[in-house]
Amino acid sequence: MIGGYLGPLVIVAIVIASASVAGVAGRLVRLSLLLTLPIAISVVLVSVFTRAGTHVVFTIGPFDATTEGIDFAGQTLVRLLAISTSIGLFGITTDPRSFVLDLERRRLSPRFAFVALATLEAVPAMVERASVIAAAQRARGLDTEGSIRARIRGLLPLAGPVVLSSLTEVEERSLALEVRAFGRPGRRELLWRMPDSRTQLAVRGALLLALVATIVARITGTFPQLP
Amino acid sequence: MTAAPGEPILRTEGLVHVYAGETRALDGVDLSVAKGERLAIVGQNGSGKSTLVRHFNGLLRPTEGRVLVDGDDAAGRRVAHLSATVGLAFQDPDRQIFAPTVKAEVAFGPRNLGRRGSELDAAVADALRATGLDRDAGTNPYDLGYSRRKLLALASILAMGTPVVVLDEPTTGQDARGVDRVRQIVGELAARGRTVVAISHDMRFVAETFDRVVVMRDGRIVLDGTPAEAFAETAWPMLASTFLEPPLAARIGARLGLGSTPSDEALLFRMGKRLPTD
Amino acid sequence: MLHLSGASYRYAGYSKEVLHEIDLVLGDGEIVGLVGPNESGKSTLCLVASGLAPASIGGSLRGTLTLDGQPTAGLSTYALAERVVVGFQNPNTQRSGIAATVFEEIALGPMNLGLPVAETVRRTHEAIARLRLEALVRRDPLRLSGGQAQLVGIASLLAMRPRHIILDEPTAQLDPAGTRLVGDALRALAAEGTSLLIAEHKTDLLDGLCTRIIAIDDGRIVLDGPTATIFDDPRLAELGVEAPSRARLSRALADGGFDPSVVGAALAGGVA
Repeated sequence: MIGGYLGPLVIVAIVIASASVAGVAGRLVRLSLLLTLPIAISVVLVSVFTRAGTHVVFTIGPFDATTEGIDFAGQTLVRLLAISTSIGLFGITTDPRSFVLDLERRRLSPRFAFVALATLEAVPAMVERASVIAAAQRARGLDTEGSIRARIRGLLPLAGPVVLSSLTEVEERSLALEVRAFGRPGRRELLWRMPDSRTQLAVRGALLLALVATIVARITGTFPQLP
Repeated sequence: MTAAPGEPILRTEGLVHVYAGETRALDGVDLSVAKGERLAIVGQNGSGKSTLVRHFNGLLRPTEGRVLVDGDDAAGRRVAHLSATVGLAFQDPDRQIFAPTVKAEVAFGPRNLGRRGSELDAAVADALRATGLDRDAGTNPYDLGYSRRKLLALASILAMGTPVVVLDEPTTGQDARGVDRVRQIVGELAARGRTVVAISHDMRFVAETFDRVVVMRDGRIVLDGTPAEAFAETAWPMLASTFLEPPLAARIGARLGLGSTPSDEALLFRMGKRLPTD
Repeated sequence: MLHLSGASYRYAGYSKEVLHEIDLVLGDGEIVGLVGPNESGKSTLCLVASGLAPASIGGSLRGTLTLDGQPTAGLSTYALAERVVVGFQNPNTQRSGIAATVFEEIALGPMNLGLPVAETVRRTHEAIARLRLEALVRRDPLRLSGGQAQLVGIASLLAMRPRHIILDEPTAQLDPAGTRLVGDALRALAAEGTSLLIAEHKTDLLDGLCTRIIAIDDGRIVLDGPTATIFDDPRLAELGVEAPSRARLSRALADGGFDPSVVGAALAGGVA
């Protein structure tokens, strides 16, 4: 039974250890719990009680909690943790802009890179726009500090210009981009370069091998299966 | 709730404003604006003009000092509340337009202030007439060109009937007809006893349309007087220190030894007092 | 040289033409000012003269646009971008939205042209120097004031070192110092052989900057000639174009029976 837990727990341990080296262990734990908890609760509830099993541990109403069910829930939980902590660590330690630009350097299409980067900037730009709009509407007597009803009535004058001005600007925006030769086919020499090292290259290589080995082990049935 | 007669309708005392721990946008401003005055605020970008006027309707709050609107401290009064006294017309019309028709857009402001029925209709109609948009009442705002959308934004503030009207760069992007119309509107407002405060980069527009000029530099007021005083030769070094130039009429008048002639009219008037043969 | 010949343009989806029979020649090193009331077709003319109409926005163009002897019909927008750039007055739309700093923002154009990194950096520094933006290089382009954003937008175009530059109200958001700065930068560019077309309301700026003025009304060119001649033309007022202070005051003085030469003297004397 322990076999089903070992692998994922080792991964979680490695990830959290790496995170503390990077100084982000606290953030990572909070983030993964935040991401995993909602799913975990529903998975646990469902599997503890509905998994076919023979050893009943306790009963609530018509539902039997079996050891098989608890085991399944536990193993699923650690797998979820392994996934969320790994992805979380990647997200926390990677600057999204550098990441996209490095992908472009490695042959990602510049168009795709542009869309990705523009999406990253989209929210701050909208927030900026919205605050200017809010100021103008408040100056026209829109009450944003009053009752709930007043605030609901204020949604259209606040959200309306955000959407409208974004839409009307799209054409001029794309024209301005074309003037600056966006969409020119071929590669471009980027100003940026994400720093790399032999060690990082070696680690990436080792991880890739580990991935391949894991897949092989899974297919050939060497790995413990879920109960 | 209203200022006593003779009391200024807007006043700041030692006003300091610091943005998020950075620069002091306003470094101790003492300003009194009398009821019915036409005041122009000029200065370089970054001198604090926009920061200053946003205190008049509470969009910004003082870091230090006081702002008094119509005799009462603005602190603790909501923006929506202050906007009944001070109407502020923003520079970018596209950051506020949301209604499907010009009429509905103009009605937004006064409706927020509680106007209804015939009173509301009259306010809207009056504002549309003043800005030359009366025949476009049913038009979609985005079918108007940029300069008329700017006039629309102005109309939406005029319709609110506020005792104080603040205009942030009302003439940028306007052609000659547009500038004329803005000039006319300022004149009409003053004739009705309303107070006008405008931020502008156009020195000629300022000299011809306003009776008081305040020059700002680095968050402080460095010159305060009539256009004749602000553009007099004695003030030129101060203006130069903030990269402003007096209108050409003033330069010609100074050259001819006619005293301070900030506007075309003043220049011609003073020249007329001397015979052409002199 | 930029040559528009017999250009008439209709926007896609519209039935009426907005520009009629436009003939425009922009010689190397020339600065031409474009004036006219709002909604007269100034912005459309800027689009057509840059080739973006119809290359990018579609619509139908009758007549021809020739850049340095080469017709532009059928050229892609990025091929056009190597020769001619056009800037609009709204700094928000000029911003790419993907640059983290002002330096990167200005560098985007040359980078997109596929230039080597060293060249991109060189052109970026040059553009920054022309508009004295050194203090802003590390700033977030999203957090600039309107005037700063407008200057960054212009610099972003200059960094591409185009042979032809078209600007639609480049000083709209600028204070007098900023306006002078842009004027000086454009003058320097013209001296280096760049040809410029500037649409502006600030006729005082154009008066000191341009060799020729074109006035447009209702999609047609109604005046085209040397700056002094056009700005002294009384027909400008009917067009709703404000004559520059020099011309306005000279005429007012002359009408009043006074000697208008004081105007020139006052301008030449400058402010102490």
